[in-house]
Amino acid sequence: MFAETVQKLFGYKNNSGQTAKKRLKLALIYDKLEISDDVLKDLQRDIIDAISRYFEIDKDALQLDISKSGEMSALVLNTPILSTKRQAALDHV
Amino acid sequence: MEGRIFVITSGKGGVGKTTATSSIGAAMAMAGKRVVVVDMDIGLRNLDVVMGLENRIVFNIVDVVKNKCKLSQAAIKDRRIDNLFLIPASQSDNKTVLKPEDMVALGKILKTEFDIVLMDCPAGIEQGFENAVAAANEAVVICTPEVSSVRDADRVIGLLYARSITPRLIINKINPQMVKSGNMLSHEDVTDVLSIDLVGLVESDEHVIVSSNMGKPLVMLEGSKAGQAFKRIAMRLDGHPDLPIQVPCNGTGFLQKIKNWLR
Repeated sequence: MFAETVQKLFGYKNNSGQTAKKRLKLALIYDKLEISDDVLKDLQRDIIDAISRYFEIDKDALQLDISKSGEMSALVLNTPILSTKRQAALDHV
Repeated sequence: MEGRIFVITSGKGGVGKTTATSSIGAAMAMAGKRVVVVDMDIGLRNLDVVMGLENRIVFNIVDVVKNKCKLSQAAIKDRRIDNLFLIPASQSDNKTVLKPEDMVALGKILKTEFDIVLMDCPAGIEQGFENAVAAANEAVVICTPEVSSVRDADRVIGLLYARSITPRLIINKINPQMVKSGNMLSHEDVTDVLSIDLVGLVESDEHVIVSSNMGKPLVMLEGSKAGQAFKRIAMRLDGHPDLPIQVPCNGTGFLQKIKNWLR
């Protein structure tokens, strides 16, 4: 109790509540899709590879999320596109 | 008019299904409805002790379904609250002794005898759950602000949707101080994750244990915040759907203010 009070006076903020929320959201998604974290990471790598053939992208800023609305789950990929690789795309075709 | 059949369920055990069933049932009966609460936890009955009716059991739900007694013989009348009845579970059978069809048939009879039927569902999603849900037209899912409980609630909500039932949610055992300090999921967090409508918020309350110690309905205990919350939930479920939902908060007394400030 005292330790907590001191922590708060010095501005430490507990937020295991938010950690819980994030973990829960992901857990529910894994439960529904029945895929593991590893599979999701592999998927992310494959998507990056595919997009990279056509666009210059910032790989570190890429985010793969699953959003839930009602009964539907949607895979959402967000990536900043730096430039288009016209030639590379044509070669591939 | 036909009665309404609710199932009170959670997936996870120990989150407050039995407390909720007895409290909501008692509150609805006190409001003038003819109510029966049904313990569907065959083999592990508990609603009877929580309600203080354990020493009056002669027949149970299995006897009713197997036609070994009349419904009126198995339904124990609460002597403190008019119009409140309990149909206890059997302690010696197991869950497979009942089938969903049996419950649908029993539900039809209960609907003609009572205004409100509350099915206290066992933990889990196996046969006991199937039986408890079979006769219900409406559902209340209860969870606590903990990851394990919310995850199980999500599973149960999915199973209810698959039966074309849109459940409503009670969040139980909320600790307002912990929510405030960021160490507990808030009710917004939970509803955000579960995308389901709330029917009430209940704070963690020692009166729940006192009430079960004495076998006295929580809603009859003076000064029980949880009891008051369940009373309001009963009103929202029956007759007053627009009653505002109160968020449990810290006390406003002088000492509490100092405590809060220290946090």
